[in-house]
Amino acid sequence: MDELKKFALEIRIETLNMLSKHGFGHVGGSLSIADALAVLYGKHMKYDPKNPKWEGRDYLVLSKGHCGPALYSTLAIKGFFPREELLTINKLGTRLPSHTDKNLTPGIDMTTGALGQGVSCALGMALGLKLQGKKNIVYSIIGDGEAQEGQVWETMLIAPNKGLSNFIVILDNNRQQLDGFTDDISSLGDVCRKAEAFGWFAVDVDGHDLAAIDQAIEECKRSEKPGFINLKTIKGKGWPAKEAVLGNHALRGAAFEGVDEVLADLRRQLEAMQ
Amino acid sequence: MNYEMFDAKKIIGEVTAAEADLNPGIVVVSTDSAPRTGMGEFIAKYPDRYYEVGIMEQAGAGVSAGLATTSKTPVFCAPAPFTTARPFEMFKIDIGYMRQNVKVIGRNCGFNYSDLGPTHFGLEDMALVRLIPGVVILAPMDASQLRGAMRAMLRCEGPVYLRIGTAPIPKIFDDGDFEIGKGFVVREGSDVAIITTGEISRNVFEAAEKLAAEGINVMVVAMPTVSPIDEELVIRAARQTGRIITVEEHFVVGGLGSAVCEVCAESSPVPVKRLGVPMEFLSAGQYTDLVKHCKLDADGIAETVKAFINNP
Ligand SMILES: Cc1ncc(C[n+]2csc(CCOP(=O)(O)OP(=O)(O)O)c2C)c(N)n1
Ligand SMILES: [Mg+2]
Repeated sequence: MDELKKFALEIRIETLNMLSKHGFGHVGGSLSIADALAVLYGKHMKYDPKNPKWEGRDYLVLSKGHCGPALYSTLAIKGFFPREELLTINKLGTRLPSHTDKNLTPGIDMTTGALGQGVSCALGMALGLKLQGKKNIVYSIIGDGEAQEGQVWETMLIAPNKGLSNFIVILDNNRQQLDGFTDDISSLGDVCRKAEAFGWFAVDVDGHDLAAIDQAIEECKRSEKPGFINLKTIKGKGWPAKEAVLGNHALRGAAFEGVDEVLADLRRQLEAMQ
Repeated sequence: MNYEMFDAKKIIGEVTAAEADLNPGIVVVSTDSAPRTGMGEFIAKYPDRYYEVGIMEQAGAGVSAGLATTSKTPVFCAPAPFTTARPFEMFKIDIGYMRQNVKVIGRNCGFNYSDLGPTHFGLEDMALVRLIPGVVILAPMDASQLRGAMRAMLRCEGPVYLRIGTAPIPKIFDDGDFEIGKGFVVREGSDVAIITTGEISRNVFEAAEKLAAEGINVMVVAMPTVSPIDEELVIRAARQTGRIITVEEHFVVGGLGSAVCEVCAESSPVPVKRLGVPMEFLSAGQYTDLVKHCKLDADGIAETVKAFINNP
């Protein structure tokens, strides 16, 4: 678990570093999935950074594509591309646009950014792999705001009907979307009960408890049903002043004030663990 | 040129709130998208007339159509791709085919969402909406026009699509009435006519000044209504100059350039050069870099004009 904890810290550091240097980016939702990414890429997923298209790999579709920076940090730390490249985010001609793009970035298998779309593409991948009798697993991370899109619930309906035990959807339930708190806009209600009613194996998890995330993924893998993990997270987790406050969705310019102290603190935590 | 600058989104919110005082039917529909559309003032004033449905643009379009059926005047605003491409069929049937009195605003159009890349660019919104019979398309060029266009949109009957960007917009023209369906001549000229629309036109005005200094006389035509297009004015520009360049922050297919070509081909054939976004998926990037890349900055426009005049 210590290794995963370090990995998560590093993801947060790289993410904040790249976004603050660029001066714009989706900080809140990137920080809330750092722990889940650490568990996925640090423990569960099969992949080969030197051969991103390796046939035996597991797939991750970041359906909430605006949090690409967290995934790019993860991939860079694992050696899919040089860490320095993180600083090219959103420069004309970059391989790292805000939203994940399958035709640009090593390690990215699906293009996302329009909310709701990625998760149904992910389902298609799970279906295709199952038809070929392959064991690869398809993971997809969606946002709680994103889960308001009808297309998400179309996907929720199809997966159990197609018996997709190789499909695991992870809801980053940070309770905030763009305009405010999801419960004030269109609440998802008891989302695990909903998933179960649709025929999924569903679990509630503290999204910042690495061991709990690990166990939830383990259980989903074992289940015959498609897996649904309701990650209870905090938007902006890791930057105390931005945690669960309004306006933490995307930061621009002056809103990054204080980031240097946060980065220094995260680096100290990392060093203490070395 | 030094103009006073305004926030387009703020203008939208201000006019909606002011018109809502006069028309109790005006309501606002948001898909996790309204406060940032400058609707804060409206929301504070009329919380009961503001519906935040969540991130569900297809439902947003449908709900708007339903509200219009109960004699409301819904204003549905969100980023341009999410009010046009995402709910296209709902726009076509629920709003267009039914001739509902729904006012759709596509904000951050063109590549104003520069950092967010192609999934968030609104480069085909006008092309899509132009395919829906009976929907008016407005692309105001400055702060005064935006105010006028908002008022005209909210006061007329029937479906309207209005696109705005995000960058601060200048006040170039005098305040006054905005007549839907009418373009106007910004400057007379005889060498070539540039027909332009939307906020990018300020670069056209600047290019025309530069070209004038070099002895090239450009007629500049403003076309803030893209559909229905002011055919008479297009024909006049064609006859007067014998060649036309269209400039827009939109794909070169389907928007203003196509509309102008259609008119010219049928009524007054002259060579037309369409300057806009080439038919390719662009990179994410910084707004000014993207504008330059597409030659939509004043220098790029001037260069295009010169090349076209020398080799039409
Ligand atoms: C179809 C679509 N509509 C709207 C948007 C604009 N948008 C980007 S992020 C966002 C809020 C997302 O909230 P959530 O899914 O909860 O993400 P997180 O909190 O993890 O950042 C919105 C509305 C979009 N990208 N795609
Ligand atoms: Mg959220």
